[in-house]
Amino acid sequence: MTRWFEDITIDEIFPLGSHSFTEGEIIRFGRLYDPQYFHVDPEAAKSSHFGGLVASGWHTVCVGHRHMVDALFAEEDRLRGLGQEPGVSGPSPGVNRMDFKAPVRPGDTVSYTLMVTGKRPSNSIPGWGLLFNTIEATNQRGELVYHAELVGFSKLRDYRMPIGVRLAMLARRLPLLGRLFTRTG
Amino acid sequence: MNPVTAGRRHYEDLAIGETIELGRTTVSRDMITGFAREFDPFPFHLDEAAAKASLLGGLASSGWQTAALSLRMLGDTFLNTIASMGGLGFSDLKWKKPVMVGDTIGGMATIAALRRSKSHPERGIVTLDLDIRNQKGEPVMSMRLANLIELRDPSAPVAAS
Repeated sequence: MTRWFEDITIDEIFPLGSHSFTEGEIIRFGRLYDPQYFHVDPEAAKSSHFGGLVASGWHTVCVGHRHMVDALFAEEDRLRGLGQEPGVSGPSPGVNRMDFKAPVRPGDTVSYTLMVTGKRPSNSIPGWGLLFNTIEATNQRGELVYHAELVGFSKLRDYRMPIGVRLAMLARRLPLLGRLFTRTG
Repeated sequence: MNPVTAGRRHYEDLAIGETIELGRTTVSRDMITGFAREFDPFPFHLDEAAAKASLLGGLASSGWQTAALSLRMLGDTFLNTIASMGGLGFSDLKWKKPVMVGDTIGGMATIAALRRSKSHPERGIVTLDLDIRNQKGEPVMSMRLANLIELRDPSAPVAAS
């Protein structure tokens, strides 16, 4: 969570909360980003193998992401309340896999959990570490809705930048030399 | 027969190597902050100063927004033209470069694989490689999507392979 890279415990499970999906928001997300008939048209959706309207898998993922961000902010507040300086989260380089398992229908309540399964210092961005996260979403019947394996950046607390790295950081700001460096990994 | 998808292309009509031109979408400041407020309210997606100080170097879209806008382009150009049965998921999603305010994204989908579902042999699975680029031609995101598709003839035997 929003702890410093060094303080993150492997395999600790963080509940992220739950969300009940309404027909209205399923259709709204579908119209904007995934306008397939079983995501936007309750009547036509009856002809699909789902037998009715279901949320776009991407909708359930975006809601899960929101829950993760809210949990990070809550953890920040908790650490500040204890008089500690919270860590810093960065943007994500990617998602290794995302498996949609059970459809989400109007009225379903989806609960999300996060587990950090691994971590290592970044090779390409000095002072930052990579976190390997698993997010699982389950519905009110305990069925798995999706399983995701994501990568995130987290700042190192105890990092002193060596002079060679400082020069490299400077060099990547120059147009030609900058191309020699990649963002991710 | 499914009346909604009867006139669309089915599993049998697709071929490995087929490419789909996805069109273009320009990403505005309002789109970025609107999506971020709902799904990804990190300060670096909401606030210019916070964004400049972050790894992104300026106000940039949530990676999930880049993905959602790409999905929309794929829906308009491909998924709504085939007898799609919904997505199974994706793998190897890489956010390679931030999408900044005013950037225009577009790209290409390529059919990488076609096979019958193992658990439901009456269904097909189409695998698509997405390559999303900005207006300078720089790759911003790539991923591999798996999507279920109806067979025109669900009773057709599964080819031994």
